[in-house]
Amino acid sequence: MIRPDAPLLLDICDLHASVEDQPILKGVNLSIRAGEIHAVMGRNGSGKSTLSKVLAGHPAYTVTAGSVNYRGADLLELDPEQRARIGLFLGFQYPVEIPGVSNLEFLRVATNSRRAERGDEELDTFAFEDLVHERLKVVQMDPAFLGRSVNEGFSGGEKKRNEILQMALLEPLVAILDETDSGLDIDALRIVADGVNQLAGPENATLLITHYQRLLDLITPDYVHVMAAGRILRTGGKELALELERTGYDWVDLELARLEPETVEVA
Amino acid sequence: MSTATVGDLVSQPYKHGFVTDIETEKIAKGLSEDVVRLISSKKDEPDFLLQFRLRAYRQWLQTAEPDWAALGYPPIDYQNIIYYAAPKQQEKKASLDEVDPKLLETFDKLGIPLSEQKRLSNVAVDAVFDSVSIATTYKEKLAEHGVIFCSISEAVKEHPELIEAYLGTVVPSNDNYFAALNSAVFSDGSFVFIPKGVECPMELSTYFRINSADTGQFERTLIVAEEGASVSYLEGCTAPMFDTNQLHAAVVELVVLDDASIKYSTVQNWYAGDENGVGGIYNFVTKRGQCRGARSRISWTQVETGSAITWKYPSCVLQGADSVGEFYSVALTNNHQQADTGTKMIHVGPRTRSTIVSKGISAGHSSNSYRGLVQIGPKALGAKNYSQCDSMLIGDQAAANTYPYIRSQQPDAVVEHEASTCRISADQLFYLQSRGIGFEEAVSMMVSGFCRDVFNQLPMEFAAEADKLLALKLEGSVG
Amino acid sequence: MPAVALPATAEWLAALAGSPLPGRRHEDWRFTDLAPLQSVAPEPWTGPDPFALAALPDGITRLEPSEAQQLRSQVLQATGSSAAWPVQLNQGASPRCLALRVSGAAGPLQLSIDAGTAPGLLALQLLLILEDGASLELLQHHSSNAANATSQLTVAQLGHGARLHLGVLAPGDCRASLLSHLAISQAPASALQLTTAVGGWALSRLEPRICQVAGAAHTRLRALQLVDGQDLADTHSHVRFEGPDGELDQLHKVVADGAGRSVFNGAVQVPRKAQQTNAAQLSRTLLLSDRARVDTKPELEIVADDVKCAHGATVSRLQQNELFYLQSRGIGADQASKLLLRGYCEEVLRELPAAAAALNPLQLLLRERP
Repeated sequence: MIRPDAPLLLDICDLHASVEDQPILKGVNLSIRAGEIHAVMGRNGSGKSTLSKVLAGHPAYTVTAGSVNYRGADLLELDPEQRARIGLFLGFQYPVEIPGVSNLEFLRVATNSRRAERGDEELDTFAFEDLVHERLKVVQMDPAFLGRSVNEGFSGGEKKRNEILQMALLEPLVAILDETDSGLDIDALRIVADGVNQLAGPENATLLITHYQRLLDLITPDYVHVMAAGRILRTGGKELALELERTGYDWVDLELARLEPETVEVA
Repeated sequence: MSTATVGDLVSQPYKHGFVTDIETEKIAKGLSEDVVRLISSKKDEPDFLLQFRLRAYRQWLQTAEPDWAALGYPPIDYQNIIYYAAPKQQEKKASLDEVDPKLLETFDKLGIPLSEQKRLSNVAVDAVFDSVSIATTYKEKLAEHGVIFCSISEAVKEHPELIEAYLGTVVPSNDNYFAALNSAVFSDGSFVFIPKGVECPMELSTYFRINSADTGQFERTLIVAEEGASVSYLEGCTAPMFDTNQLHAAVVELVVLDDASIKYSTVQNWYAGDENGVGGIYNFVTKRGQCRGARSRISWTQVETGSAITWKYPSCVLQGADSVGEFYSVALTNNHQQADTGTKMIHVGPRTRSTIVSKGISAGHSSNSYRGLVQIGPKALGAKNYSQCDSMLIGDQAAANTYPYIRSQQPDAVVEHEASTCRISADQLFYLQSRGIGFEEAVSMMVSGFCRDVFNQLPMEFAAEADKLLALKLEGSVG
Repeated sequence: MPAVALPATAEWLAALAGSPLPGRRHEDWRFTDLAPLQSVAPEPWTGPDPFALAALPDGITRLEPSEAQQLRSQVLQATGSSAAWPVQLNQGASPRCLALRVSGAAGPLQLSIDAGTAPGLLALQLLLILEDGASLELLQHHSSNAANATSQLTVAQLGHGARLHLGVLAPGDCRASLLSHLAISQAPASALQLTTAVGGWALSRLEPRICQVAGAAHTRLRALQLVDGQDLADTHSHVRFEGPDGELDQLHKVVADGAGRSVFNGAVQVPRKAQQTNAAQLSRTLLLSDRARVDTKPELEIVADDVKCAHGATVSRLQQNELFYLQSRGIGADQASKLLLRGYCEEVLRELPAAAAALNPLQLLLRERP
């Protein structure tokens, strides 16, 4: 839902970032307002996953230029946990397994960290169990997964559901979902997309990072951005994704070759 | 961006490093036959015990200090150690009200309140300060069930027949260098006797406190569970921070008869020395249990976080048919600590079973070795052992060694060993952080997760304590 | 029949090695009784030189004596082999020496080292340089037919990207002893596959000592050790990583029958500079008789945090469920056991160099005893 007067949540300005001295992001500009759903599309290596990692504060990535403003605060100054506590959420493409750490305990500590930041009281084990069972419905997840170690031995679909469950518990203002659709069969994809749609509202925003149209058939974006060579090359409405589906990414190469970096139109 | 490394987090100040200012009676430094006689006479011991000590002393003189462990330390000058120190109070008091308030205060500070009002509701405590036991709680209540729980000195006086029957039968005085030394000079410790068919109504616990700088601590613990009896016992230990090393050479003997069980848990937090490896306790301990009866069971659980040097292999001799031995261990070393610890499971009887779960965490410049022996004797038909040894390395200066020996003479037995090494990966940390969990808490969660299989074995009352202790060790500043 | 130690032999061997025979008080020899070695006649073995090769395959040339000496001292130092008693003995016993340089892809080589019926101590040294990118498949076939002893020192230096597939197939004699030390240094990107199959000796001691001098190499060790009768078989392997990104894949299998004794000690050292090492060691023992004994001792020493090191050990009889599966298909218990035992051994034997197949290693190793 596009509302020009909605508060600006995330404002990315000329963002450059590198990993192991290799520049990946080369001037990304993107503004996200409350209520909006954005999709960033692009080929492998275009920098879209890097963008999500940089926003979440992954230590392997170094920001070399540019700024990211999150609701008036300098996001890049904050530790990853601080970003999460103030409402930024990253749904991982490959959620790691953490043997030995109980999923339920992990979810409770994470939820309470976010609640403490918002001034809500801490939930004890019982209150939290009630909450988590209610939120499990969002992703139709089996409560048995709560008793296991974080993501350990979960299938691809179960891991992604666990990600959306975390999103449901943390109630982020900006949720970045990195290739959430990858490795999911059609039923799992529908469940995950349903979850995301249930959680989207006028107060929050979603940034979907994806390869394919099939996720966007289930979650309708307000904006579609095409990323290539570390920049956003084109921005349009949901019809841009359909066009990509039809024509593929070949035109991107042509356009990249034709345009000087300085003259690339960005949203 | 957080700049703290995982390594920073495992460094934390030692919280039990204070010294109690109390008048102490000490004998002169050094060890000789006269010193052994003096200790025995101070304790007014029967002749059999004096003879036991003298025999051990002579055996000690003939024995060489072991050098096979992966430990390095300067030679110990056994003549520069005081072998007996006791806070000055004439007799063991009939009532706690008469115990020197300074001592009560000391144990209060350590979180072990002894007085009637404050003491733990379901745990009986024997408190040992330097060489002597100063108080044992809930003795009367236990006596109603026929359970004897007292200091070993008291047991020598009141139950000499039990001491004579069991002392030195599991760990003979010539078993090894440190056991011989302990047998010659042991000062105090705990004695537990659970008679036939009795399930001990509460947890038993001994708390050891070293206070003097130049005193060695040589406690002796003996626990006997008769047919069908069971008990859960926990020991804890702390010491002040001195820049010299104190020697601690304990012996623990467990005897279980038919269908009996002993669960023995240790939370070891002796002073570990400073970040440069100066000071700290040298901990040379011989712990062994004998499953003498059929279907008997011994379970060792240890959480080793302290000491500059740890040399300790709580073991089970599984004689009775179908007896069970278990060893669950967490050993955390940091700075310049060195630990060489593990277990021996000696399968003698048929269908005996043993389980070993060892979790070693090495940080700083420390060295952490698991050394274990699983031995299957020719009569151990159908014996089974499963061992799992995992190491977690924090930083690239710490060493993790694994030496699991297996000796088998019985084809109809199954021995399985598995070991792995892991670290806290940056990706796992980032994942937890990206859910709002702070760096320290993330590390702590992963370390407790790594140790969970062992913590689950601790008695309820102490599982939280162990978790807290580890968290404490992990507490630090995120820069 | 237990070997009778001759005092003269012990003295003679000690004089050759320049140090007394190791005894039970040496940690590395705790379970290994050297009595069979001391029962051989105190004299050098006389017989045709097993290294007298008719022709060398393409790509292989002989080393100059000075080159050979330099190679030996370099590799023995890299692997820390110099202090090993079997190496000292070999060096002192005026060994027959074959020193080769391998360039490019050389043809397969087979060395038959048969101590035969001659008495005394047969000492041999095989020195190999594999130049950068060179590859060689080499089978050493040891055997004996009397109360004699074979002392073999194999020294190999693998250059960058070199590949060595080395097999030691050693079906022995229940009166004979075999001491074989293999010192191998590996440059980055080299690959070593060492497959050993030893059985039937009164005493065998195998000491593979491998050093990845700058890490980043691949080491694959496969071993089968069989003891029966009064045999004693001892393997002490030692792998050290002196740089990052090294790989080790080690499988040690034992079949212990009769009143045989099996000893395995497997050391793996991963020092600080060896980050990203990936090492796995698995030791599997089949204990088939209640008079047989096994002593297994892996030793993992790690001082690097970003490494993957796993090891495992099992000691048991044949798997009951596997036996049952075969029986449920109508195969008798005896035959099923034999089938399973063959399969168990084949897992290692099939990794010997191709030339071994013609020798029928399984039959050589599992032959009925006299």
